Amino acid sequence: MKEKLKKIVENATNEAKTIKTENDYLNIKSKYLGKKSELFELIKSIKDMIVEDKKKYGPLLNKIKIELDSIFTKYYDAVINADEKVTFDPTLPVSNDKGSLHPVTIIAKEITDVLKNIGFMVLEGPEMENDYYNFSALNVAENHPARDMQDTYWLDNGLLLRTHTSPVQVRAMEKYGAPIKMCAPGRVYRNEDLDASHENTFHQVEGMVIDKDISISNVIYVMKGMLKEVFKQDVEVRLRPGFFPFVEPGFELDCSCTICGGKGCTTCKYTGWIELCPCGMIHPDVLKTSGIDPDIYSGFAFGLGLTRLAMMKYKISDIRALNSGDLRFLEQFNVR
Amino acid sequence: MRISCNILKKHIKNSEKIDFIKIWETFTIKTAEVEGIEIKGNNFNNVVTAKIIKCDKHPKSEKLSVLKVTDGQEEYQIVCGAPNVRVGLVGALIKVGGVIDDITISKRPLLGIDSHGMMCSGKELGISDDHDGIIELPNETSLGIDLKKILPIEDIIVEIDNKSLTNRPDLWGHYGIAREISAITGHELIPLEIEEPEKINKKLDIKILNPEACYRYTSIKLDNLKNNKTPLWMQIFLYYAGMKSINLIVDITNYIMLELGQPMHAFDSRKVKNIEVGFAKDLDKYTTLDNIERTLTKNDLMIKNDGEYFAVAGVMGGLDSEIVSDTDSIILESASFEASGVRKTAISLGLRTEASARFEKSLDPNLTSVAARRYIKLLKEENPNLAFGTDLTDIYPKEFLEKEIILKKDLLEKYLDFKMPDEQVKSILESLKFKVKVNKDNYKVIVPTFRANKDVTIAVDLIEEIGRIYGYENFKPKAIKMDLSFYKDEPSYEEGYNLKRYLSTKYNLNEVHTYLWNKTSFLKDLNITKDNIKLVGKNEDNILRDDLNLSLLEVAKTNIKNYNKIDIFEIATTIKKNENNRVISILLSDQQEGLKVIYNKAKEITVNLFRDLKNIKPIFELGKSDDYYNQDLSQNIIINNKIIGQINSFSKTVSNKISKKHSFVCINIDYEEYINLELEKPNYQEVSKYPITELDYTIINKRGEYYKVLDDILNNFTSPIIMDRILLGIYLEEEIKKVTIRYIVGSHEKTLTSEELQNFKEEFIKYLNENKLKIIDQ
Repeated sequence: MKEKLKKIVENATNEAKTIKTENDYLNIKSKYLGKKSELFELIKSIKDMIVEDKKKYGPLLNKIKIELDSIFTKYYDAVINADEKVTFDPTLPVSNDKGSLHPVTIIAKEITDVLKNIGFMVLEGPEMENDYYNFSALNVAENHPARDMQDTYWLDNGLLLRTHTSPVQVRAMEKYGAPIKMCAPGRVYRNEDLDASHENTFHQVEGMVIDKDISISNVIYVMKGMLKEVFKQDVEVRLRPGFFPFVEPGFELDCSCTICGGKGCTTCKYTGWIELCPCGMIHPDVLKTSGIDPDIYSGFAFGLGLTRLAMMKYKISDIRALNSGDLRFLEQFNVR
Repeated sequence: MRISCNILKKHIKNSEKIDFIKIWETFTIKTAEVEGIEIKGNNFNNVVTAKIIKCDKHPKSEKLSVLKVTDGQEEYQIVCGAPNVRVGLVGALIKVGGVIDDITISKRPLLGIDSHGMMCSGKELGISDDHDGIIELPNETSLGIDLKKILPIEDIIVEIDNKSLTNRPDLWGHYGIAREISAITGHELIPLEIEEPEKINKKLDIKILNPEACYRYTSIKLDNLKNNKTPLWMQIFLYYAGMKSINLIVDITNYIMLELGQPMHAFDSRKVKNIEVGFAKDLDKYTTLDNIERTLTKNDLMIKNDGEYFAVAGVMGGLDSEIVSDTDSIILESASFEASGVRKTAISLGLRTEASARFEKSLDPNLTSVAARRYIKLLKEENPNLAFGTDLTDIYPKEFLEKEIILKKDLLEKYLDFKMPDEQVKSILESLKFKVKVNKDNYKVIVPTFRANKDVTIAVDLIEEIGRIYGYENFKPKAIKMDLSFYKDEPSYEEGYNLKRYLSTKYNLNEVHTYLWNKTSFLKDLNITKDNIKLVGKNEDNILRDDLNLSLLEVAKTNIKNYNKIDIFEIATTIKKNENNRVISILLSDQQEGLKVIYNKAKEITVNLFRDLKNIKPIFELGKSDDYYNQDLSQNIIINNKIIGQINSFSKTVSNKISKKHSFVCINIDYEEYINLELEKPNYQEVSKYPITELDYTIINKRGEYYKVLDDILNNFTSPIIMDRILLGIYLEEEIKKVTIRYIVGSHEKTLTSEELQNFKEEFIKYLNENKLKIIDQ
């Protein structure tokens, strides 16, 4: 009996190693544990045994039955859980189709995000504008050179292509009044001949804050913070007098040259500074024109050249590349 | 504008204590932008005054002379090619060992005769453009003296950005710059030296016909001008400042223009009878000093002499107003004109001169008489026997006065963010020649006329003056006090960005930027004519676009040689019916894929973008479009019964011009309509607890008929148990088309019985029969 059992277990264990499929598993199971199996015959024969043998072989046979079952299952599990053989090349490169955002779109988003963080609304305005919003309401006098045809694209319907994003200031003051914190990115137009540093179509972002106690120190704070976020480094800024009819005092804002860090290089013409954006305290007449009382409110505004900023940030040397539509240039800006 | 520091030094007390190289950085921050600094006079050394004592012809040359010159101690033999050499001439000798423009002078033979140095021309010394002869110094000049000691050759020339001076007419001359430096450094400004003319009770005959255009006309007749030679120091200055020396009479007018900013004109007295200032007549012709005949308009202010045009006021004189070198009597004009008028005339005549550039900035009318007196002073230095032909005749219809401005202390504090002591405010404003009275709550400030005429007219203008002289670099950044009230943001920008990002990440599209006008040559190539709003004054590329797709097609054209596949988009303005109309435009093109695949991709992008960004399902309907599109493939995109865009494919006649291998499919969507669509909330329904059933039917259709026809019919078949319907497939056979669709049917209340399913089936087949359609029995 013992010999017999030993043999069964030995055979069954060997055969279990050959299990490859579900069928193998079921066949072996039926062969060793099925109703026609040797083991089953032996189990059946227990009832005819004497009491001592019953006590001796009953539990043993049962134990062997459970043991075999678990051996079969173990080998079968190993088969079904095994990872399949790799039949493909996992090291192949993927398709290099890539979309891109225009560099100006990327930089505009960065700036508007920074300004939103300090509570600015993001507004837009029309590109075909009228004289009132583009000039008069901004205190640009009737005979100011900016209105010349050499500088402005006038249209045969009497309107013009906005020369700056500042008209959105006026529209915002009319719509929302004071206090207000807003910015307005967008396309602007100047009647310019194209060369590496001049475009007739480019982007600006306007910024404006009006409240009861706005000071020159606030301008410096906002501009400095904004540029730091954009360039991801500390940037020095300096204000110097600049004349723009819609601000008083008016400033030209320079930032320390991001190329040489202020030591002097060709980009900054060895001054260490780059002229970046006109800004200033909003002229009282501009506030008044849009229905805001300059005796109560003061504010500041700036007009930052987004195109210029994108060129600085990505070191683009020719402004014409931006409107060229050349995908060899544009598709590199797959930054999201 | 070019500024000579030598001239500035003449106007500032103790100017030797100022570092005239470093000061310009401060000047840039406080006043106006300095573009460059040039050191003059360091291109040579060892040049001394020397006199020619012997002058012989060179035996072997027609042109060369052999000179003997003395520096008062030694004699030198010099070979020289200048035509003006003569015995007695005092010139500039560079000795052997001296350096000029990096060349060391050595003894060298010229056609066999040794030259021990060189007599220099003005050009060689860098003090004029004159290279026709050697420089001639006054006969009485001492010999052997370093040339730099007797002439202002060493100088620092500063280039100031004219643009940054547009609002500061007072800075268009050296004296104004000196005034500013004196305010910045605290050094005192020296009063201008002028000469009072004698009173002889004889006036010039001058009339101002249009006092609104000519504010003041100051004039005097000066006689007995025997010396018309400009002193060398002035010649050098004019040269450094970028002007040409002509003769003393003209040069002093230019000198004063550069010194005070006041343009002047000297007429030959023999030609002047009486002066009238008034507007021209339309279409009158007039020949200006540059010998060009110009057509005048009634807006051009003219100086008339004896009833004839004599000069264009503030711009340029006429041919016959030119000073003739043999004159010894002049009539000096020092006038003030209304700025914008001068500007308009200068533009319309195409004549921007140094004078018009200054007049169009608004000059202080009080400057004219100062300038005339200054002229007399400088002229008299060279002509001690000068005589006065008339009194200083000054026609000044309405005197321009100083202005009073009240600056409230709390306004100043608000702008500065700190309280500046009264003494500091007072001293800053006084350094700029403002008069200040300190009151309890305000400052009463009297603004001098040279500032009051343009840039200082209201209180905040004074804050600028205080701020810049105090120094913007001294302001500390300060956060804005946050106002945390809720505000309603406008979605347009953010949604635009999200859409761009969606298209570039999900569909790998490239964003491009294009121009607002179509390129004329591009449209012509494609045989497309457009009529729309135009740019004024341009004949090319002047028609504003009404279809953004064409701009994208132009971009496709520039890329076609480098790319087989071009998938691009832009959100931009077009002009339609005289209105701004922003559009989202997408252009797809692929050489490897046929029109069908590209067109379906366009449709898929359209459906998905509305589903993903607005949760809205658009409806498509065949539509009409511009004739450069394939009319059979024009489909309207409809949302809420409104056409908000189109899908189009450029017609073959157009696309072949770009590429014969590509098809170009465009989507355009009205951006404002897109923004106005509210994001629909998800149309959530509870998941049915009861089983659903899928029923597949294959419908026999005419081959060649659009699916849309069948789709419309199926849309009209309704039943409460339909949960969804999808298209499984289309199988084309010779004559017919088999369309397999699947209905998903079920109920939220119960399990459908087989009878209900049978009923549905029967009703559906009956409906199809009514519409003359058959199904294939499974």
